Amino acid sequence: MNKTLLGYVPNQSPIYAIHPFVKLYFLLVVSLFPLFIADPVWNILLMAVIVILMWYSRVNMRTLRIYVPIAISMGTIILISYTVLGGTHPEYSLIFQPLGINIYWERIRDAIVVYFRILPMIFTMVFFLSTSRERDMIVAMRSVKVPFVITYVFAMALRAAGMVLEDFQIVRQAEQARGFDTTGKSIGYKIRKYVMYMIPLFALSLRRSEEFTNALIARGYAFTGEASKVKRADYILTHYPFKTYDFILIALISLFFVTLLVLRYGFGFFSVDQSLLINFLRSLLVR
Amino acid sequence: MPAVIEIHNYSWQYLNTDTPALKEINLQVEEGVFLGIIGPNGSGKTSLAYSLNGLIPGQYHGIKHGTVTVLGKEVEQYGRGELQQQVGVVFSDPEAQFTAMTVEDELVFGMENLGMTIPEIRERLEWVTELAQLGPLLTKPPYEISGGQKQRVALAAVLAMTPRIMVLDEPTSMLDPISRKRVFDVLQELKKEQNNTIIVIEHSLENLIPLADRMVLLSGGSLILEEETHAFFQNSDLLLEHGITPPGAVLFFQKLVRDGLYQGLLPLTVKEAAKNIEELFIREQGDKA
Amino acid sequence: MSTPYIEVKNVSYQYADGTQALAGINLNIAEGEFIALIGQNGSGKTTLSKCLNGLFKPTSGDVIVDGLNSKDTPVVQMVKRVGYVFQNPDHQLFNSNCWDEIAYGPRNIQLDEEEVRERVTEAARVVGLPEEYFNEHPFFLSKGLRQRVAIASILALRPRVIIVDEPTTGQDARQSIEIMDFLCDLNEKLGHTIIIVTHDMPIVGAYARRVIAMGQGRILADGTTREVFRLSEVLAQTYIEPPQITQLAQCVQHLGFDPGTLSVDEMLDQMHKLLGK
Repeated sequence: MNKTLLGYVPNQSPIYAIHPFVKLYFLLVVSLFPLFIADPVWNILLMAVIVILMWYSRVNMRTLRIYVPIAISMGTIILISYTVLGGTHPEYSLIFQPLGINIYWERIRDAIVVYFRILPMIFTMVFFLSTSRERDMIVAMRSVKVPFVITYVFAMALRAAGMVLEDFQIVRQAEQARGFDTTGKSIGYKIRKYVMYMIPLFALSLRRSEEFTNALIARGYAFTGEASKVKRADYILTHYPFKTYDFILIALISLFFVTLLVLRYGFGFFSVDQSLLINFLRSLLVR
Repeated sequence: MPAVIEIHNYSWQYLNTDTPALKEINLQVEEGVFLGIIGPNGSGKTSLAYSLNGLIPGQYHGIKHGTVTVLGKEVEQYGRGELQQQVGVVFSDPEAQFTAMTVEDELVFGMENLGMTIPEIRERLEWVTELAQLGPLLTKPPYEISGGQKQRVALAAVLAMTPRIMVLDEPTSMLDPISRKRVFDVLQELKKEQNNTIIVIEHSLENLIPLADRMVLLSGGSLILEEETHAFFQNSDLLLEHGITPPGAVLFFQKLVRDGLYQGLLPLTVKEAAKNIEELFIREQGDKA
Repeated sequence: MSTPYIEVKNVSYQYADGTQALAGINLNIAEGEFIALIGQNGSGKTTLSKCLNGLFKPTSGDVIVDGLNSKDTPVVQMVKRVGYVFQNPDHQLFNSNCWDEIAYGPRNIQLDEEEVRERVTEAARVVGLPEEYFNEHPFFLSKGLRQRVAIASILALRPRVIIVDEPTTGQDARQSIEIMDFLCDLNEKLGHTIIIVTHDMPIVGAYARRVIAMGQGRILADGTTREVFRLSEVLAQTYIEPPQITQLAQCVQHLGFDPGTLSVDEMLDQMHKLLGK
């Protein structure tokens, strides 16, 4: 596996044959699907498709384990927010009342719907990050003529983030080397003391920003004026020509999205009422 | 040889400082010369480097007297981006110069800024990749390469813009010895292949001296000494007075001269010094016989 | 024989990404030594030095400092014994004035303010930091002064061992000699054990009494400076070249010069003797 700033990517993968823009397009469009699908069964199916795509792309499936605690905590928070903190609704079906708190079926249903909308969005993002290097994101943007300034700022932000992460590790060690120890201290103390990390990180960033600017100028980069209007050759894109199958994939993704919208708004598909899972759970919980 | 750089009575004082960083500098640099600039920290070396590519006065506020002329034109007369095509600068921090997300992107960035075409870029890219031995690194992101490799990338990225003058400001100060040697190997190749004027500011004299045609000593903002390299290091007392310690071999021969055991040009490398010692011994044995 | 202050017993260290940084390191360090840890980037020098002060816990093996095993001892206890000065002072300046910066460590270890005041004054005096800088923001000081503040901030913890990472990087000759003379005083006059992690071989030749050369996570040579410099084949493995004067002596050792020559004056003495002058 190769480590990137945002995760791990496989050394070799069939997905690398696809143009980076197609991967970005997949992320942007497919992550919208769950917004139009209320039925959790369909969203679970979407997640399964993404997991299969990950497996096909040779993503290390063990890295997905790090997302399990996140998924569990997120689900717990959503359930508690909708149920325990959901308020009083006499029009809803009361299921039970632990410690005087009203738990309604409709709130449980809504929590499940929301949870299974968010999960596929996260899975789509994880799939993208697990199969894309930083350069892929920049190529994707440049290939659709996003202004150079925007893509370059994005690239510099990634670069800066990488440097800050490296600096952070060293600053953390430097703090420990000065006897800084938060073991057994309150969360308020920890938060207050962690602000101290900001001082050296800011100092380093400020010093580096001057050198960065000088380096940009030394490379002939002009921020404003006539010199900034020079036509850029965009050499990097010569390594990433679009192939026929890239256009086919873009068309397919678009077609799926349009079909989804037609089925949803034209024929009422993917609604909660049609959901097998929701109906099954209702039959179990509501007397 | 025509002078590509002419500095005439040049002084520069940064805003909100008490003393000028550079005082009455007079210096001419001919085309194709490899010039080494040395001096203690705070002597004005970096300010001088910045004055050559327009960072001073372009990016820094201060008071300027005198003139800095590059290729026949004063630095202020160049349009935005024009001077940088003629004078390439490599800075000391390899991290802060790497602005892109892969080595290849970094190498082509400058060329794209100059509006070069794809075939031109491809040709230059091939040349600098070969020169700086960056072939295996082209697709690597900055966090996968060492500081020394990043500095070679910086050097190559600037070279790719085909400047006539290269200025390197302490390019190896943050590097380990082998990375340092590799950077100087690139400079040596450059000196052989091209007719660039190369100005290197360094503390690491052992690598600099064998390549430098001429040396300059800056101290306290003033130009103290400017000479051909061999003659430069004859002035041992002056160098020591300004906090410059010549490399061991040079210092050793300076002391041999002082003790009357050696006459002649000071050797600048270990190889030269060893040869001189052997000749000295042969001569002494000959005399005794 | 007295127990060494630091014992490193078969220590290995592996980073999270699987890189084996140290492999079976065995080492003893007595009090009062002046050691140079040399080696190519990636040889394990920094990893080893961070294991010595508890910032890194060995994957296997033990690091015993003053009788305490680093695996079982909180870092805050280890750093009172082994101080670590990072290469870039900007990584270790956390406060808005020099006084608070130097006091930061003693306050972290819960000393009372009277004791803190005493330690800060002493540390500032030892590094030669004038009082007028006490209220200055470290960010605005020169690099040399920032480095002194960083060293003072470690000294204030009064560790017996001080590890300094690349003390002379970015310094000119005069500044390098100043900082090294200062570390030498800490060693000879105040008895601190000094370990410098460095590539600056002339400095190693001039100041270090013991050199540990590392390569690929192992110790390739460990001895007096002279002994290690004589091992040209071992040094070649570390991609480190000895100081130029030593290299010169090695080139002409067939004429009778000592291949472990450390200084120009030594070389000159030998020259006079060999020429019968």
